[in-house]
Amino acid sequence: MMSEQETEHKAYVRRVPITWWLHNRRYFLFMVRESTSVFIALFILGYLYQLFLISRGAEVHDSFQESLRSVPFVVGYVIVLLFALYHSVTWLGLVSKIQIVRIGRLTVPPVLVGLGAYLSWVVASAVVAWMFLNLK
Amino acid sequence: MSNGKNITITVTRYRPEQEDEPVEQSYDIEFQEDWVVLDGLNHIKDHIDGSLSFRWSCRMGVCGSCGMMVNGEPKLSCAAFLRDYYPGEVRVEPLNNFPIVRDLIIDMTDFMDKLKAVQPWIIREEEKPVSEGEYLQTPEELKEYKQFSMCINCMLCYAACPVYGLETEFVGPAAIALGHRYNLDSRDEGQERRQHVIASAEGIWECTYIGECSVVCPKDVDPAAAIQRSKVATTGGWFKSVLLPWGKK
Repeated sequence: MMSEQETEHKAYVRRVPITWWLHNRRYFLFMVRESTSVFIALFILGYLYQLFLISRGAEVHDSFQESLRSVPFVVGYVIVLLFALYHSVTWLGLVSKIQIVRIGRLTVPPVLVGLGAYLSWVVASAVVAWMFLNLK
Repeated sequence: MSNGKNITITVTRYRPEQEDEPVEQSYDIEFQEDWVVLDGLNHIKDHIDGSLSFRWSCRMGVCGSCGMMVNGEPKLSCAAFLRDYYPGEVRVEPLNNFPIVRDLIIDMTDFMDKLKAVQPWIIREEEKPVSEGEYLQTPEELKEYKQFSMCINCMLCYAACPVYGLETEFVGPAAIALGHRYNLDSRDEGQERRQHVIASAEGIWECTYIGECSVVCPKDVDPAAAIQRSKVATTGGWFKSVLLPWGKK
């Protein structure tokens, strides 16, 4: 058996290449999911900026809101929406693997846990949408 | 009797006394329909090149010794059939993310240290005498952890985990799954003693849930799920300790 010291001196250490996430489809999809956060963060920054503009007066705010109707902004928001949907769907898909739900001695089947997560998401989204659409 | 079919097995060679870095060596062997990659390697060692080094033992997917990268995927070489690659070439490399000691043999010291650190055995605050009999358990209690107890320490999950490759201090999938297995065991009382390893920054919180560890696991242990469930349990425990401090043991 090789001594610890001998192993330490002679073992060859390989470095993980920077392109590791291109070696496998699942690694790639993971990186896509992680990168969606960047787009969602940009959206939130834009939203915070919009809130800030309220303090500058109705005219400034309305002017900015009007600019959001331009093609580049609409395209940007569609991209953010797609990424947000992808992130949400994949994230909620993991819930059934992670969360064990028990009612008394009964363990709820993972499929139902997953469906419950998706249903909650749809209901929460509908409530938020209703609030925004009826804000005025 | 020859069947006239050949297959090429390309193997990573690293002989520290003669090479500064690994090289590849190809061997043409006769293709056998019922051979696994390990059979091919043993054929090479027995009949072509006795200097080729690799680990193996049981040949039946139980001991976890023969884990290797087969065409870029972490596999038990005793369970990877040559027919699944034929007529293509089979590339065999040492498990990713571990230092190479020689040829296909990796240095598993880091894994063994981490495994030991999570104390994957039943811990009792006070052992009862043997005369009092076994610690009994219901089938439901067994079911709680059984999946995670199937781990054979083959380290395929470590080879598949980019987080472990990039952050070597990460405790890693198998060790955490086994720690979680004992935390779920109704006979165990050692959860708090494991938490400083499992719930540390190098433990469960290092995992980003890529999930590849569960994909490559030959025993369907699902270490990724064990890690995420451990996160949920740890977070729940933390909230309980803050909101209900008097409830803490």
